[in-house]
Amino acid sequence: MSVPDDTRPTHAALRFTRRAAIGAMVAGGAGFALFGPRGAKEASGGRIVLDYWEKWTGHEGRAMQGVIDRFNDSQSRIFVRYLVTAGVDQKAMIAISGGNPPDVVGLYNYNVPGFAETGGILPLDGFDSALVPRQEQYAAGVWPILRHPDSSGVERTWAVPNTGGTLAMYYNRSAFREAGLDPDRPPRTIGELDEMSRKLDVIDGDGTIRRAGFLHTEPGWWSWVWGYHYGGRLYDRPSNTASFDAPQNLRAYEWLASTSARLGPPRVETFKSGFANAYSSALNGLLDGKVAMVMQGPWLANVIAAFKPDLDYAVAPVPVSDELLDPASPIGLVESDILVIPRGVRHPEASMEFIAYTQRQDVSETLARAHFKNSVMTQISAEFVRDHPNRGIGVHNAIAKSPRGFLAPRSRDWLQLKQILDDGVPQIWNHTIQAPTQLAAMNRQAQAVLDRSLDVTRRRHGAAPGKGVAR
Amino acid sequence: MRSHAMLRENAMGWLWISPWIVGFLAFLLVPMVLSFYYSFTDYPLMEPPLWVGMGNYLRMFGDDKFISSAGRTLVYAALAVPLSTVVALVIAGLLSTRVRLAGIYQAAVFIPTLVPMAASGMVWLWLFNAQYGFINLLLAKVGIQGPGWFTDARPAWSMASILIVGLWGVGQAVVVYVAAMHEVPGSLYEAADLDGMGPVRKFLNVTLPMISPVILLNVVTLLIGAVQLFTVPFIVRAATPGGQTSTMTFYSVYMFDNAFVYGQMGYACAMAWVQLVVVLILTGLTFLASKKLVHYRGA
Repeated sequence: MSVPDDTRPTHAALRFTRRAAIGAMVAGGAGFALFGPRGAKEASGGRIVLDYWEKWTGHEGRAMQGVIDRFNDSQSRIFVRYLVTAGVDQKAMIAISGGNPPDVVGLYNYNVPGFAETGGILPLDGFDSALVPRQEQYAAGVWPILRHPDSSGVERTWAVPNTGGTLAMYYNRSAFREAGLDPDRPPRTIGELDEMSRKLDVIDGDGTIRRAGFLHTEPGWWSWVWGYHYGGRLYDRPSNTASFDAPQNLRAYEWLASTSARLGPPRVETFKSGFANAYSSALNGLLDGKVAMVMQGPWLANVIAAFKPDLDYAVAPVPVSDELLDPASPIGLVESDILVIPRGVRHPEASMEFIAYTQRQDVSETLARAHFKNSVMTQISAEFVRDHPNRGIGVHNAIAKSPRGFLAPRSRDWLQLKQILDDGVPQIWNHTIQAPTQLAAMNRQAQAVLDRSLDVTRRRHGAAPGKGVAR
Repeated sequence: MRSHAMLRENAMGWLWISPWIVGFLAFLLVPMVLSFYYSFTDYPLMEPPLWVGMGNYLRMFGDDKFISSAGRTLVYAALAVPLSTVVALVIAGLLSTRVRLAGIYQAAVFIPTLVPMAASGMVWLWLFNAQYGFINLLLAKVGIQGPGWFTDARPAWSMASILIVGLWGVGQAVVVYVAAMHEVPGSLYEAADLDGMGPVRKFLNVTLPMISPVILLNVVTLLIGAVQLFTVPFIVRAATPGGQTSTMTFYSVYMFDNAFVYGQMGYACAMAWVQLVVVLILTGLTFLASKKLVHYRGA
C-alpha cells in the first residue's frame, strides 16, 4: 500500500502557481511598458524638457551646468537636462539613426561635414532669423566650422560654437632662463625653435634624456598639423584631392624626423613613456619639467592651475617656417566644440532657443573663461581678457581671429584620413620609413578613401555635395 | 479532450520559454539577419542603406588596413592559442600534484580572470611603461634595457606585449584543466608506474590523452577569443596618442572604427561576417585535426 506523498503539489495548486506566475509576468510587463524608464518630455508645470548630451565632466561639466541653470531660470517654457555622454559623437550617430535622438548634442567641430551631409542634424538657417547665428558674430576662424554644404550642395549653417580652442605653444619660462634664453622671446620660426630646443635639451652622457626642448609627440594629439606651419594643406575640397605628399608637408615631416634623429628615436620613446598617459596630472610633460615647449590648446592652463599653479609659463603662437612669419597674422589650428540639433527632435524650436541663448556674449564668455578657453566671438569684452585665468588668452584669441587660422580638413572622411596619419607619422618619427616614401604611401591610402566616398555619394545623391569651405 | 490538453500544454511550454525566444529574436537573430543585409550596402547609419552588392567584400582586397589588421590578428591567434594552452597545461599540471595550499595557488591563478579586461589593460599599460614600468625595472636590475613594449617601433615587441597580457587570463583554462586532471583514473597512473614512467612521461602519455577532449574545447574557445581580440589593443591605442599605435589595429578594432568612428556600418558588417566565416573555418580545421589527437573515453 503506497503512502500518499503530501509534499507533492496538487493539480489545483500547480494551476494556481502557474496563473500567479503568468499574472506576475504580465503585470510586470504592463507596468514596465506604462511606467518604465523613458525620456520624460514634460517637467512639472508643463515645461518642455530638452535632453542635452555633452562630453564634459568635472569642472567643465559643472561650468556648462551653470549655463543651463541660468537658462532654465531665465524663462518658464523650457527645461534643459544635462546628460554627460562619453563617446558623444558615436552615440549621437546611433541615437539619430534609431530615431530617438537627444534634443541638443555637443559635438566636435570635425563632426559637422559627416552629420550635415547625411542629414543627421538640422540646418539652423531655417529657424527664426533672430536666433540664427550670423557670420559677423564669430571670429574669422570659427565661422567656417559652422558651415557646410548639405547633400544637395547648398552651403548652410549647422551648428553654434560652444567653446573654442586654438593651438599655441606653451613654454616653461624657468627652463628658458636656465638655458640662458630670454623668457620673453619665444621662438617664432621653426629655425629658432630648433636652435632653442637644442639649448633646452638636457641629455646625460649615456644619452638618457632628462629634458627635451620640444617634442612633436607631446602630447601627440595632432600628428597632422605640422605641414600647415610650412604653408601646406592636406586636402583640397573642390577637387576632392589629398595632398599629404605636397612639398610643404614633406619639409614639415622631414623636420619632425630630424628632431627625433637628434634625440635618438628609442631613447625619446623611453623618455616619453614616462609622461605619455599623464596629460591631466602633475606628471604632464610641461608641468613636470620634462619638456620645455609644447603645442597645446588653452585647456592646458586649466591643468596647470589644478596641478602646478606656480609654473612660470607663457604662451606664443606655434612657430612657422621662416618665409611665413607674420606676427600680425599667426598661423594655428582653430577648433571648437559645437552644439547641434539632431534630426527627429520633438521640439526643434525649443532646442534652437536654448542654443541661441548660449551664443549671448556674456554667456559664451562665462563658459569660455570657466574652461580657460578663448572666445569664439568677434566682439570680446575687456573683462573677458582682464579676468581670464589663462595668461595666454590673447594669443589664443588672436589665432581664432587670424585669417591664417586653419581647420581640420572639411571632409566627412576626415577621421579616416586622420587615422592614416596617426598610424603613419610615428613611422617617420621612429625612422622606420623615410618621410617621402611614407607621405606618398599615406597619400595613396587617403586618396583611395576619398575616391570611394565620392563614388558612393554620387550613387546616393546623383552628384557630390558641394565643395568649397576648405581653408 | 486529450488534444485540447496537449494544445494547452504546448501553449504553456511556448509561453514559459517566450522570454528567451523574444530575447533570441530581438537581440540575436534579427540583428544577424539585418547585419547580413547591411553587409551588402553602404550604410552610414544616418542615411538609409544603399545596395552596393558585393562592393564591401571586394573592397577588402584593396584595403591595406583590412589586410594588415587581419594578418596581425591571425599571427596573434597562431601564437596566443598554443602559448596559452601550453602555459595553462603546465600550471595545471603543477597544481594538480600534491602540493600544499594548492587551493590558494589555484585561486591566485584564477582571480585575474575576474578583473575586467579594460581595468587590467590600464594596469598593464603601466607595467609595460618603458621608463617607469615594473617589468623594465626588473630587467634593468639584471642589466637589460627593456623595450618600449606596446609603443615600441618594432612590431614584434608590441605583439609580445599583447601576448603576455593574454596570458593574464589563462586562469580559467587552468581551473578546467585541473578539474579534468583530477578525473583521470588513478589506475592508469599505477599502470604507468609499473611501466617505469617518470612524471613527464606520465603527463605526456597518460594525462594529456585523457584530458584531450577538454583541451580541444579550450583551444576552440581560445581561438574564437583570439580572432576577436579587442579590449586591450583598443585601450592601448587610445592611451598612447602619437605612439606607434598602428600595431594595435587588430581586426576587431578596425571593425569597430568602421562601424562607429567612420560611420561605415555596411563595411563593418561585411567584416563581421568574414570574421565569422574565418572562425568557422578555423574551428572546423581544429576539429578535423583533433580526430587523431583527441581521445574520448569509451570511444
